[in-house]
Amino acid sequence: MKTGIGIFFATVFALGASWCGLVLAPTLQLGGAKLETVLNSTDTYPVQRTGDATLGLQIYRANGCAACHTEQVRQDGVACEVSLTGLGNNPPDGFKKFLQSIETLPEWQDHSKELSAAFATWDGTLPKVVIAWTDKDSADKMADLLKAAGCKSESRIYAFGPDIARDWGVRHSVAADFLYDNPVQLGSLRAGPDLANVGVRMGDANIQLQHLYAPQAGAKNSTMPAFRYLFEVKKIGDAPSPDAVKLPKEFAPAADYEVVPKPEARQLVAYLLSLRANVPLYEAPFTPVISAKP
Amino acid sequence: MSDESNSGDCALTADESTVERSTVPMWIVVFTLILLFVGGIYFDRHSGWFNPQVYGSFSSAEQLEAYQPKSGAAAARAHGKVVYEAVCGICHGLDGRGKPGQAPALAGSEWVLTKGINRLAHIPLQGVSGVIRVEGQDWNLNMAAMGAALPDEDLAGVLSYIRSAWGNQAGTVTADDIKKIRAEMGKSVQPMSGQQIMSLPD
Repeated sequence: MKTGIGIFFATVFALGASWCGLVLAPTLQLGGAKLETVLNSTDTYPVQRTGDATLGLQIYRANGCAACHTEQVRQDGVACEVSLTGLGNNPPDGFKKFLQSIETLPEWQDHSKELSAAFATWDGTLPKVVIAWTDKDSADKMADLLKAAGCKSESRIYAFGPDIARDWGVRHSVAADFLYDNPVQLGSLRAGPDLANVGVRMGDANIQLQHLYAPQAGAKNSTMPAFRYLFEVKKIGDAPSPDAVKLPKEFAPAADYEVVPKPEARQLVAYLLSLRANVPLYEAPFTPVISAKP
Repeated sequence: MSDESNSGDCALTADESTVERSTVPMWIVVFTLILLFVGGIYFDRHSGWFNPQVYGSFSSAEQLEAYQPKSGAAAARAHGKVVYEAVCGICHGLDGRGKPGQAPALAGSEWVLTKGINRLAHIPLQGVSGVIRVEGQDWNLNMAAMGAALPDEDLAGVLSYIRSAWGNQAGTVTADDIKKIRAEMGKSVQPMSGQQIMSLPD
């Protein structure tokens, strides 16, 4: 064993290097994560969960939800959009001429096709997107040009990527999203949709309960197993329970029976409804869209 | 063990290979250096220097800083949403549809979708008392001057928000507008009825 000391130190080095990379470095990087302030507001983020939702995380964990669902939205990048909101004293035709004069400038060569296509059939309605899918510099330049021409414009920053196109979120997930999660249920397999924003997408508690009791009620081809042991099928007593799950006909129990969620189901739903990673933060900036839906 | 296995020991024959000292080929050294160089450039461009705030789609803290939304109409509306949800949403509803017996709807309301903002601004600044007709329905409720205590920026944000949310499409309101209206109406706070508000200039 004359190489014993050498093997010992090599082992310490190998284990130590992985410990540094997997434990020490992330702790130094994110170990001091704190509450953050939402952009352009004084609100803090994330919001502390209710007691039910905190217990619900453990139900989520116990039922292995993370085996098929992730809680992390990814994005490919951010882009800017400038839209025209007011013409000032310019007539629409004058504005078109102004844009045509811009198109010939060398710095707008890349956008000239886009600009002429966007305004070819424009009838003067506002707001009108002038350029989209552009970087911050071009957007700022365009906004300055419009301002100099006496027009009003608005710039918007938005994140894009496949997950965002699927409506799973509006920005990538950041460490702050998981500040109150213990353990963090990131997940790695997407047999089902991402749940980082499920509280925003499906904000109705009954729909969530219905989905747990009979997944195929909401999504016909869902491969999700039914979690019926989180519910109790009871004979209706003197009056129907106010907590009973409203189910579509083909999934409903026999006529004088009702499906009542056990506390576990309610806690799990409270947790799911608390998953709302949709505010702009410093490390994930975007301009929130004020919903057009009433 | 047989005898043969011991018989042929030690003597080197001429064609047997031997270990000699040799230098590392130059191309391996150059190739490694090129890899290190390219890796260094890639690291510099994409690592964000392990900054905890720089995530995948950003490449550096400077780029992240550049993409922070500036103040502007959109920022004012986003701020207005926050104020609305804290101050107004309790009665008028987070969806702007109002609540029966508490407050009329703001979504699609003719009091919100006005050309000028003088009458609209009087509602939160002075309060409402008595009958007010909203979308063909008479409401006889009292609203306190909820906006009187708000700073100009907050009130302007709220009004911009309710004029642009839930399908509403009307112009934005600036803090200067509110300042002007406040200066014109003086310090007295006197809840007004719908008719009294209508008698004001738009």
